[in-house]
Amino acid sequence: MQTTQIIHAYKQAPWRIQRQWIGAFLLALIGAAMIAALYLDVTARAAVAGREIQELRFEITTIQRANADLETQLGNLTSTAEMQRRALELGYRPVKPGELDYVPVPGFVAPEPAILLAAEDAVLPVQPIPFEYTQSLLEWFSERAKFGGGR
Amino acid sequence: MRQQYAVRSLILITGLAVVALSVIIQMVRIQNSEQAQLFIAQGDRYGGEFSMIYPERGEIYDRSGHLLAGNRTVYEVGVNLNEVKDPEAMAHTLSTSLGLAYDEVYNKLTNSPDSWEYVVIQDFVGADTVASLQQIAQQLKEAEDPRLKGLAFKPHYERSYPENTLASNVLGFVTRDGRGYFGIEEKYNDLLAGNPVQIWVPRDPNKAIEIPKVPNGTNLVLTLNRDLQAKVESILDQALVNYGAENGTIVVMNPRNGEILAMATTPRLNLNNYSDYFLLFDNGSQYNSSIGTSYEPGSIFKVLTMAAALDTGTVRPETTFMDTGSIQVGGITIQNWNRESWGQQNMIGCLQHSLNVCLAWVSTQMGPQTFYGYMERFGIGHPTGIDLAGESMGRLKVPGDSDWYSVDLGTNAFGQGVAVTPLQMLMAVSAIANEGRMVTPHMLYAMLRDGHQYNVPSQYAGSPILAETARTLNEMLALSLEEESSLALLPGYRLAGKTGTAQIPTDYGYDGFHTNASFIGWGPVDDPQFMVYIWLERPSTSIWSSETAAPVFSQVAEQTVILLNIPPDIVRSQLGSR
Repeated sequence: MQTTQIIHAYKQAPWRIQRQWIGAFLLALIGAAMIAALYLDVTARAAVAGREIQELRFEITTIQRANADLETQLGNLTSTAEMQRRALELGYRPVKPGELDYVPVPGFVAPEPAILLAAEDAVLPVQPIPFEYTQSLLEWFSERAKFGGGR
Repeated sequence: MRQQYAVRSLILITGLAVVALSVIIQMVRIQNSEQAQLFIAQGDRYGGEFSMIYPERGEIYDRSGHLLAGNRTVYEVGVNLNEVKDPEAMAHTLSTSLGLAYDEVYNKLTNSPDSWEYVVIQDFVGADTVASLQQIAQQLKEAEDPRLKGLAFKPHYERSYPENTLASNVLGFVTRDGRGYFGIEEKYNDLLAGNPVQIWVPRDPNKAIEIPKVPNGTNLVLTLNRDLQAKVESILDQALVNYGAENGTIVVMNPRNGEILAMATTPRLNLNNYSDYFLLFDNGSQYNSSIGTSYEPGSIFKVLTMAAALDTGTVRPETTFMDTGSIQVGGITIQNWNRESWGQQNMIGCLQHSLNVCLAWVSTQMGPQTFYGYMERFGIGHPTGIDLAGESMGRLKVPGDSDWYSVDLGTNAFGQGVAVTPLQMLMAVSAIANEGRMVTPHMLYAMLRDGHQYNVPSQYAGSPILAETARTLNEMLALSLEEESSLALLPGYRLAGKTGTAQIPTDYGYDGFHTNASFIGWGPVDDPQFMVYIWLERPSTSIWSSETAAPVFSQVAEQTVILLNIPPDIVRSQLGSR
């Protein structure tokens, strides 16, 4: 007995196939655009942060220079010659041994030479910038490609 | 038709694929070629620049925190040659402001090699000058006038000394290349200068690099008392005038711990004009004569001879000696300073009248082995180890040396034929003021780094004599000073000390007209808190130390007790009894 096989076959309309291709292409394009935008955003922010760091570093250097200048200026204003001149102008004169009175103060201990810590810059712990904030997206991809998921 | 179409398409695709493949192959080949590596290296080289970060040089303070050496900002004034629009105007402005010749500046702007992008016009320009130049440049910029376009200012530090000449012999100086010369600046140059760090700064703003924090150089606190230093320098300068001396040295030390409280010498250099160095000094040893120049000290050396003799039991204070005015040692006749005989003397009298014959006898009684053994223990002929650059070690001839003769045992006993620096004498005699313990003189009190203060402990250089010997000699020297009614005495304070008038050796024997006048003394005798060394070179008003160096010692002692808050003996005994 001869059997008849009926094959249902249908073919999508050409315009539908074209649309699918266009859709896939656009999807890939949008994906690429998103990645590009993300890359641009991250690198732009990294660049801005980099510039800010440079500017802050410059500012710190400027302030340090100003500090050094002011310390030297203070040193000039309080130098021996200057202090002697000002003291004489104010009517003071050098003391002589017989003019000194020594007063005993119970419990008083003569101070040791002045501790100069106050003249020192306070040292703040400097946190290094985490790598995540300095690497670019391409560097991140490259790292992942080289070392896989973990670092 | 359709088949033809397919064949054409296949050929086209194959052709394009071959082209694409060859492009890819070519890309890979080029990128991995030797030339590519060269270009990559070049690209990396121009992708940034090495920048050296120099830390601020550490400051130097006196023991009370007064600044002795600091830093100030100066500028390198330069021009970016590619940006220059009007070299005539630029040359005119810079030559006027910086005090340079117009032709010199114009030549730099127009005739520099083509490869140069930047040229330095002048370095170490003061902040005031730069401020006025910057103001002019800013005004022109606002008016969109390009005449000063390309002008650049690079700030950096320059060493500055607020006290000018004060303690210049101790501090030393820093030249424009940042290197310290002499004194503290040279000795502690590495510590003060810190560690410069070289970094690679990329031009790509995307590459945000972390600039390392470069710690400043270490700040140093010296043992110097600035006010005492100023007083001592003033006294020394006046003494040179009063006594017609060529040069002089005064050192004040704490005999308990070796801290140098003041160290004055002449001449002194204004450290802010260190280029005058060559006008003032013939050689480096003159820069700080208290450590760099050794000389025959004369009779102050008798203190060490007597210390050795007492310590070995060769003599006691009451030991008598019949002074006949001369003694033979090694076949040579030794005489007293006045060529007279002083009759019977005990050891206090020998010191009081500074009798060469007596001390020569004492040294011969000890014998060369004992005498020179003690001198070695006192550190004679060796550097003291003070933390200042340029220390001389002096010279002590000992038996066995080719230039040692038997007579040296006699002459060395009163300070002839032996060369010492003032600091060596201070160190040696500190054993007498300090219960037999000899201190190592030092200048550094503390270091300040990273917000911490590290105090430098005092060091002792051994105990050449017993404490009992030191106490005995201390008393003998105080008595001899009192009985002599010396000009070195200070009312209200009991002091001990010894004069030294030394002839000056020349190539033709001893100079018959000039002397070196010295004095070493300390006080208060019952609790020594300061020790002073005076050296006046070739005083012309009197050759005798008792008339020149001794009164200078008294003046220094007077200022020292005031500035160190040392009450008179009677007040101290009252305070002690409460």
